[in-house]
Formats: sequence, structure tokens, C-alpha cells
Amino acid sequence: MAEITNLSGDVSQVSSAIPDLDLIITIVLIFVGAYLIVKVAVFLLRRFSEKAGRYRIAVTMVIPLLKIIVYVSAVYFVLKTIFDPGLTELALFSGLFGAAIGFGLKDIFADIIGGIVIAFERPYQIGDKIEVSGTYGEVTDIGLRATRVVTPDDSVVSIPNYAIFQEPTASQNSGKTEMMVVIDIFIDPRSDGNLAMDIVRDSLITSKYVYISPKRPYTVLLQDFPFYRRIRGKAYVNDLRSEFEFSSEVTRRAWGELSRQGILPPPPARVPEENAAD
Amino acid sequence: MAREPDFAADLTHPILYEEEWDRITAVLDAFDNTRPSHIAVVADPFAGQNVLMEGILRRHPDRVIHIPFFSVVKSKDFLTQMTGHNDIVVMEHCHFLAMRKIGGFAMLDAFLDHLSTSERLFVTEWNSFTWSYLRATRHIDTFFPVTIELPGIDSKTLKNLILSRYTDEIEFIDDAAPREEPILSAQHRTVKLPFSQKTVTIPVPHLREGGTGTNGIHKADPEEAAFDKIIRIADGNYGVAERIWDRSLDGKTVRVADIPDVPCAINLDIHESFLLTIILSMESVSMVDLAEIAGPEINLKQALFRLKNQGLVVEENRYFQIRPGALSCVKGYLTRNRMVW
Repeated sequence: MAEITNLSGDVSQVSSAIPDLDLIITIVLIFVGAYLIVKVAVFLLRRFSEKAGRYRIAVTMVIPLLKIIVYVSAVYFVLKTIFDPGLTELALFSGLFGAAIGFGLKDIFADIIGGIVIAFERPYQIGDKIEVSGTYGEVTDIGLRATRVVTPDDSVVSIPNYAIFQEPTASQNSGKTEMMVVIDIFIDPRSDGNLAMDIVRDSLITSKYVYISPKRPYTVLLQDFPFYRRIRGKAYVNDLRSEFEFSSEVTRRAWGELSRQGILPPPPARVPEENAAD
Repeated sequence: MAREPDFAADLTHPILYEEEWDRITAVLDAFDNTRPSHIAVVADPFAGQNVLMEGILRRHPDRVIHIPFFSVVKSKDFLTQMTGHNDIVVMEHCHFLAMRKIGGFAMLDAFLDHLSTSERLFVTEWNSFTWSYLRATRHIDTFFPVTIELPGIDSKTLKNLILSRYTDEIEFIDDAAPREEPILSAQHRTVKLPFSQKTVTIPVPHLREGGTGTNGIHKADPEEAAFDKIIRIADGNYGVAERIWDRSLDGKTVRVADIPDVPCAINLDIHESFLLTIILSMESVSMVDLAEIAGPEINLKQALFRLKNQGLVVEENRYFQIRPGALSCVKGYLTRNRMVW
């Protein structure tokens, strides 16, 4: 009889050592639920943003904020489910958490803090064209750990979020759909500069991609160099995704008319080296 | 049964754009050849701006030189028409003075040069989208101290204008399913800006009143319901509303459910959107002019086929224009995509 009693005592010890199955299921469901909420919300917001035209980026900027809120809420519910923490448990947990960060999770934690800073301070947003750490492209996702950027040659680059603390970040459009594009055209130094400027101006303002308003004006500038003249056109493209099409269209049409008017490019040997390389 | 309203000759008639007419006549009466305050009347296609131009012609037949443009202007001959002692020049469809292509502003520049040195008063009429474009790119507004932008009309004005055509009674039948009026909705109101002649339309929140019926079910008078629906579809555009009315009138009866409300679904690429922008901005444009603007990179026939196929554009004698019923949809689409500003 005593053996039977001992046996039942061992069984109860073993069962208390195994985590409660209900608890595990609850935790898994919380995380799966959070993941699904984020996925569905992001999908819907992206669909909606594509139809929102010029408000596209304003809609997508909600996405990183939403992710943080959902995932932080999920972690909170998990902690509440496991520990139902009081002040003492919370202090203990904070100490352990701090130690974990110090030992091994420092970089991940820096990325997460970077993600939170990006979500609130918005140095760039989903849909922006940015340049960070020598990478230029369109931001397609701001995750908790990294920002994904698609470069002009369609490579997806993941930039750790902590980069915003260390590297200068250039956003070409600062959350707007339109973006300034600078187009340089080099002509023979003996050419008629006024005529060339008129042609470049007309090429800019009649482009199908251009957007002009009092706050988004266009400019055409002429600068003389020893062996060539540079006509620089600056104007806003109506959708930053058309940046290169805009540049290409203006250049092609401008050169068509420049050639018709007898304006020639500088002699080949005198093309500026940095531009010849492009 | 139908009779045409004679707006300018009979000012007791419910006149379209009465306030704007008063502003124009005030400028004309104050004009004394010293410093002409040129007028630009700016309106969407089909908005009925011709009423104001015709009004000026009737009011001052001996003072006016009338120059209407019907297609893209390609020669400066129109400047030679401005001779004699007449001191007011009324120019209609001035959007034909510019083409959105390289070198397409020569006629506009010639006109502005002439206007800058003339002692005559110019009353010009522009398409609102061309006006916005030229204001942004060529600062055209600086030449016209008086700019009159025609606002959309409300259903009450439309009702007065339409019903004044008929001597017999029109029967209205509201056989549409009753719709629940939302508790909170937006109503558009036109307000005048302080210290300025400009008017703007702003959305004002509107709370449903308790007395509209049980549970907010809309039980409007069928006549009111019909004109409300027409003006909503036409987005306040008089010409479009007029066409919808003509299509809805069956003998002497208008059924609310039969007022055509075409769903707005546009799917275009950048080339097609650009062509649509040109057609919207020029109101009526020939195949030849479109080809000149589009250039070699746009397959014009295919793009125009798609525009016609989606019910956005109609062709008449090889001239293309926006289908009136699609105007509101086209405007919304191109504005959202920053093709018009």
C-alpha cells in the first residue's frame, strides 16, 4: 500500500514537471493569431494602398506601427498567461531580460528598438525610396528586425533596423508619392544654350510622368564646363515608382528635339568621365 | 413641349451661374481701357460655361470680337481678327492654344504676348484641367486678374433649370429600393473665402435628423429623389446632369430606378492614362492631334480602343471626347494618379 502511495507521489511530480498542454496551446494560438492578424491586415492595407493613388504611402505607413502593436500585445498576453506577473515577478523578469540582452540578444534587441524608432519617428516609410549603407531602393517592408529594400535591379536587400542609429539615411520622397528627379543632358559647348534649355523645359513639363504644383516646381539650369555644357532639369515624377521611366522619357524626347534643332552632344572624347561610366 | 432657356436675355429665368455672371458684368461695366482686368472663366467639360459667353455676346453685341476655337490652333491668324474699335475680345475654348508636346506652347505665347500689350479686355474660357496644367507650368493665372471657376450645381438648381424647359407636368416614380440614410454623412457646401473672391467646396459633416422616417429609412419626394440621384451621378456638372436627364426621361415619366448609374472601374496603363488626360483636358481632340501629342511610343489605335472599350471615351467624326457619364469617374481616377492636378 505504501508503495502505491509512493508511486502516485512520483506521478504527480512528473506531471508537474511537464508544461501544461493547455498553456502551450494557448501560447501557440496567441502567436499564430498575432501572425495571422498582421498578415491579413498587411495584405488588406497593401491592397487598399495600391488603390489609394497619391495616398499610397500614407496608408502603408500604418503597417510597421500595426506590427509592433500586435506583436507587443501578443508577448504581453503570453507573459500574462504564463506568469500573471505581479510587481516582484515583473522586476525579476526585467532583470533576467536585461541579462539576456547583455549576453546574447544585444543586436536583435537593437534591431527591435530601431524598428520601434522607425515606426514612430518615421525617418522613412514603406513605399519610400531610400539610401542606407550604400543601398538605394524602394522600402517594401519594415519588420521588427530589418527593413527590406528592393533595388532598381530587383534585388531584395535586408537592412538591419539598428542601421538608422549608425548610418545616415536619405529618403528621396519623405513619405510623399511624388519625388524629385534630376536629369542631366550634356551638349556641345558651342550650342545655343537658351534653345537647349527651352527644349529640356518642354520635355520635362510635357512628360506623362511629371507632377508640378506651387510646392513642387520644376527648374532648368545651364552650367558651362571647359569641354561641354550641362543642361540640368529638375522636376517631380508623379509616382516615385516611375523614376527611371521619367528620366528615360525626358532624355529620349529632349534628344530627339535637340538633334532636330542641330544641337549636338559634346565630342566623345570630352564626355565627363563620371557620366561616361554610367 | 421642350423650350430652350434663354439665360442672358431673360435674367428673371432661373439662370445657371448667376453669381459668376454678375462678376463678369461688373468687370465689363468697370472697364475703361486703362488697365484691362482680363477674365478667365474656368470650367470642367460640359459644365455649361457657354451660357456666360453667349450672355456677353448678347449683352454687348457692338463691343465684342468673338473668337471661338474648335480644334488645336496651329497658326497665329487668330490674332489678326482683333482689329477695329471693339474693345472686348471673347475667346472660347482657349485650351486649344496649347498642346502638351515639345514646342506646343508657341500659340499660347503669341496670344499672351498680344494680350500683354493690348488695350482690349479679354474674356477667355478655359478647360479646368488645361488651366491647372498651364497655371503650374506657365503661370498663366498671372495674366488674368479675374479668374472665375464655375462651381458644381446642386439638385435644387438642376430641378429649376430642367423643369423650366417643360410646360407639361412630368411624373416622377420612386420605384428604387428604399435606402437607409446614414447617421453621419458628408455634405458638400460652397463657401466664399474671406478677403478673396474665391469659392471653395468643403465637406461638412451632416447628422441624420430624427424626423426623416422610421429607422432613418429615406422617404424623399420622388421628384427630389430623382434630382438628387442625377446630381450625385453627375457630380454637380450641369451638362452631364442634363444628358442623364434626357436618357432617363421616358415620355413624360422619370423612374428613379431607371436613372443610369454606371459603376466606376478603370484599369489603364500609363500611356492610356496619358491619352485620357489629353482628351479630358482638350474636351474634343482629333486623331491627328492625338497622334502628334502621343508620339511614336504610344500605340494610339490600341490605346483608344481600350479607352472606348472601358466606356470612358466616345468618338464622333474622328474626334474623341470623354463620355459624359464617365466624367466624374475619369476625373477621380486621373486626380488620384496625379495625372491631372
